[in-house]
Amino acid sequence: MKLIVEKRSSRASDLSILFVSLFSVLVALIILGLIILSLKKNPIEAYIELVSWPFGTVAGVVQTLIAMMPLLFTSLGLLIAFKMKLWNIGAEGQFYMGAFAATWGALFVFDHISNPWLMVPLLMILGMGSGAGWAAISGLMRAYLGVNEILSTLMLNYIAIHWVDYLVYGPWKGAQSHNFPITATFPKAAILPQYGANGLNLGIFFALITSIFVYYLLKWTRLGYEIEIAGDNIRAAEYSGINVKRTIVIVMAISGAISGLGGMMEMSGVLFRLQPNFSPGYGYTAIIIAWLARLNPFIAIIVSFFFGGLLVGTQQIQLFLQIPFSLINVFQGLVLFALLSGEIFLRYRIKVVRT
Amino acid sequence: MSDVVLRLSGIVKSFPGVLANDHVDFTLKRGEVHALLGENGAGKTTLMNIAYGIYKPDEGDIYVDNRRVKITSPHRAMEYGIGMIQQHFSLVPSFSVAENITLGLKEFGIFPKMESVKKKIESLSQKFGLDVSADSHIWQLSVGEQQRVEILKLLYMNARIMILDEPTAILTPQETENLFKTIREMVKNGASVIFISHKLKEVLKISDRITVMRHGRMLDTIPTSVADERILARKMVGRDVLLKVSKKPSSPGREILEVENLWSRGDKGQYAIRGVDLKVRSGEILGIAGVEGNGQRELAESIYGLRRYTGRVVIDGEDMLPLDVTSRIRRGVAYIPQDRKGLALCGGLPIYYNFFLKVFDSPNFSFNPYMFNPSYLRRGAEQMVKDYSISTPSVDLEAKYLSGGNMQKVVLAREISGSPKLIIAVHPTRGLDVGAMEFIYKSLLRERNKGVAILLIAGDLEEIFTLSDRVGVLYEGEIVGYSKPDESHIEEIGLMMAGVGSIDA
Amino acid sequence: MKSKLTLLIILISLIGFMIFAAPLKIGFIFVGPINDNGWTQAHYEGGVVALKKAFGDKVKITYIESVPEGAPSLNVLNSLAARGYKLIYATSFGYMNQVVQASKKYPNVIFEMCSGYELGPNLGEYFGRMYEPRYLSGLIAGAMTKAGKIGYVAAYPTPEVVRGINAFTLGVRAVNPHATVHVVWTFTWFNPPVEKDAALSLINSGCDVLAQHQDSPAAVEAAQNRGIYAIGYDSANMGKFGPDAYLTAPIWDWSAFYVPNVKSVLDGTWKSESYWKGMESGIVKLAPMSDLVPTTVKRLVKAMEKEIVTGKFHVFEGPIYDQNGELRVPAGKVMSDDELLSMQWFVDGVVGRIPKK
Repeated sequence: MKLIVEKRSSRASDLSILFVSLFSVLVALIILGLIILSLKKNPIEAYIELVSWPFGTVAGVVQTLIAMMPLLFTSLGLLIAFKMKLWNIGAEGQFYMGAFAATWGALFVFDHISNPWLMVPLLMILGMGSGAGWAAISGLMRAYLGVNEILSTLMLNYIAIHWVDYLVYGPWKGAQSHNFPITATFPKAAILPQYGANGLNLGIFFALITSIFVYYLLKWTRLGYEIEIAGDNIRAAEYSGINVKRTIVIVMAISGAISGLGGMMEMSGVLFRLQPNFSPGYGYTAIIIAWLARLNPFIAIIVSFFFGGLLVGTQQIQLFLQIPFSLINVFQGLVLFALLSGEIFLRYRIKVVRT
Repeated sequence: MSDVVLRLSGIVKSFPGVLANDHVDFTLKRGEVHALLGENGAGKTTLMNIAYGIYKPDEGDIYVDNRRVKITSPHRAMEYGIGMIQQHFSLVPSFSVAENITLGLKEFGIFPKMESVKKKIESLSQKFGLDVSADSHIWQLSVGEQQRVEILKLLYMNARIMILDEPTAILTPQETENLFKTIREMVKNGASVIFISHKLKEVLKISDRITVMRHGRMLDTIPTSVADERILARKMVGRDVLLKVSKKPSSPGREILEVENLWSRGDKGQYAIRGVDLKVRSGEILGIAGVEGNGQRELAESIYGLRRYTGRVVIDGEDMLPLDVTSRIRRGVAYIPQDRKGLALCGGLPIYYNFFLKVFDSPNFSFNPYMFNPSYLRRGAEQMVKDYSISTPSVDLEAKYLSGGNMQKVVLAREISGSPKLIIAVHPTRGLDVGAMEFIYKSLLRERNKGVAILLIAGDLEEIFTLSDRVGVLYEGEIVGYSKPDESHIEEIGLMMAGVGSIDA
Repeated sequence: MKSKLTLLIILISLIGFMIFAAPLKIGFIFVGPINDNGWTQAHYEGGVVALKKAFGDKVKITYIESVPEGAPSLNVLNSLAARGYKLIYATSFGYMNQVVQASKKYPNVIFEMCSGYELGPNLGEYFGRMYEPRYLSGLIAGAMTKAGKIGYVAAYPTPEVVRGINAFTLGVRAVNPHATVHVVWTFTWFNPPVEKDAALSLINSGCDVLAQHQDSPAAVEAAQNRGIYAIGYDSANMGKFGPDAYLTAPIWDWSAFYVPNVKSVLDGTWKSESYWKGMESGIVKLAPMSDLVPTTVKRLVKAMEKEIVTGKFHVFEGPIYDQNGELRVPAGKVMSDDELLSMQWFVDGVVGRIPKK
């Protein structure tokens, strides 16, 4: 008797993907329950905490949506690049650059503009432009110098983060901030409309519109068609007369523009001023979201909603069951691990063979 | 027959759409170097993979030392003393030579005694002239040195039967010379070597006997002493009539393709095309004959704009720039490459995409690039499936699941549907069954009769003779001469292909 | 009738009892893990642990570790407020933005922000004059250095850190007028490997005493390994990481703030203020000096401590010269709190630069 792992010959059906994903989450939850039990606490209570606030209350759902917004933007940006097998892992840096450009516009360039109908679109253009430019650097290096985009986007992340650090600790320190590393607050015109007391803002709607745009781009344009061809076989794309180098740069730029727009929305919609460490790694979580969403911009909405809820829900368990942070880390790792091992069952089948 | 160490008898192996080995018999004697000669796709590697336990034969038996054996895995093969060096090495770059050699050896367990291993490696490497240090790491080594590590691995495991799959493809002439010395040394020590190649000169130099394969069948085994390049070239590219297609005389029109003093480098940086001039007129097929590896691929890719070159490529009166595929497609250049899976198709995409990879450069379509959905292509694809009688359950099937013949039909359909002025076809029927072959011949001839200029680059003389109106011979990156595609010139063409003599046409 | 009345009275008093006895719900938001041997641990011990001990059932305390400083802290603030938490301590400056937002949204909740600068009707700020014990630790460092070169591993160039470096240097110079203090920025509050590298680079450049404004004991460990002296920070626990190196540490005792603060909330006397007290309140201290410190030095430090506590001595009293030799504080003048809170220049004796515009 031995076990043989075989590649599945056909693609897994949508239903089985859904089933495996749900099953994976269930497994992670059961393990979480066991961990909590070992701490002599009630796992049922933990499950309730995990779900009831982020998905069951208005205020909590809003928190989930706020956590989801940057995740959705960055994962949408990434999935365009991933579709072409461009491994842009620089969403974090592009997000930072978008936030940087929005802050620059709001506080230093357009600070005299008082009309939000003018200001917000200008900031959006700045955020997209700077994210696009940032990602295009990696695109150009990949297309014309053959530099691996994984490395260049990763390195650019660090540069972007340190650039923002430099600004808030140095020249952009707010006049009123007593030398603390934080910029001045955005003028009113630069702040997105807020709905209700819970912090719901227009950013999430922009994120949803962006998923429709990404869907359109991938499914209804020549560029989307070329991305599919190049993503499947880059040599066949060259053979088909597609200017692969140009496409790489364009795709990277669009990818960065969307993450950059996310950074701008985070500033104008949620934080209103630039501060260090304002992203807890959204751009990295987005890699996993894009992957789990199977590069589908609509599934990305669902997955980032789920991840947003997970971030919010795990804070609830910490707060109200006093579970140590390290175990929460373990749990979040478990969810990922379970989802990724679910992938293996979708791609391979395991057979028992008698020998 | 006591000196026969390995015998393959009646081996049959088929892959979807291709009969890779068709009742092949093969014997290897103790202490001989036996060359296995044939074009790419002739079935050499498949046969040897069967002997090495990678593939399971559909039919046939394997005998080692006249005992019938079942070889189910490379591990099993090693137990019978059979070792193979494949074209892609299986070495771990971050490990040292000694570690790579001990990797996977059962006798060692988890903590091998590296000192004694190293000593044995050094002595083997000295004995067989393999200049490799046991402590170097694989990533530091050249490909030639890596190959020597693979050989050491086999020697270390006491392999008696060594299969070398195209070992010289990656070597410089100097390294090739050294490899031959090693092979002779191994044979002196009682090993037997199977040497897979398509290079005539090398085969003549190193082997004791030569077996020629073509189209999955074993053609002949002859002692090297009675062979010469001319005989081998003819055997290799064949004259066996598989298929006769009638064609009417050509009526060439204006010049469509003109190539002048074309120079272009191969993937390894050396010149593969050295000053080629050629012309193809509308309504004619120019066949380019030659033994594999004489610049065929580079010639086609340069003309099509995929490869950098110097010199001139003029298409229908317009000078083309290097590396510009798009304007060639717009000018009506179609290309049926040798590597259809790697270059001409997107295996992971549905068939209907593959019919229309060039849709935005094609004059026959004008889709709005901002309001275009690939499913618009479905109906056209269904029509093409019908027109080209492609057997597939649906146009939604991913192209990689098609058989070789159907894949080539998809490529052909796409290229012809663009109403080309020039078709470049490289080995268009390689690996296909007779039915698909006939279909492709007829399609190409129909296009020629419609007035399309066709540049046909093929290794198979039969194919060249069936289709071409003129024949040029490519040898070491040069067109060494032209001839007429009929029986009476076969001797002359064979000589040119072997690089023996060049005759000006 | 009578029985009904008694029932009513009992009921009312029961409800009243429940209202008055309902514990005050307090939430803490921490930026790191509670066992970091540094900043967060000091808040945990001086806050969560000390409050439970001091108030028992009268308070119900929850806390959350390692909360990122961006949007995620918003959710914590919102859900604490939604769950009826009435007093929330945010223990890192990075939360200020979000705490200010939340304080406007929940006027019935009291927010206390550690080391911020914005106040509101229900938003207070608290911090300690750490520069006082830092000055004392400077006296020790100045007395212990033989090379006359002292290293200072510093996190970010915030006024708080700059002020600490200056106070420390003034202490060093008070006993050793030619000694210099060499500053290396790490741009992280808590990252042991980075802090260790910074410490080693200082040691390699010839420093024989290390001080730090970091939340991990990495510098103390580095000093231990290389056989030189070190001054810790945050909590006396850092001594465990370098028994042969550790001299002392300027440390926090947050219970000196938390306990009276909670009491004022319970009593209903809480009001928004900017709490910034020094050694006299006990919120900042010099940890017990180790045996490595000679008795004479100990005596000097104790004497200076008394001067500071009684208000006879101010660390930032002139004359104070800056790095360029310019007189910044004339003799006899004491720097104002506003000046201290936005300090962005180094005193004479510091080698290093504040990253500038």
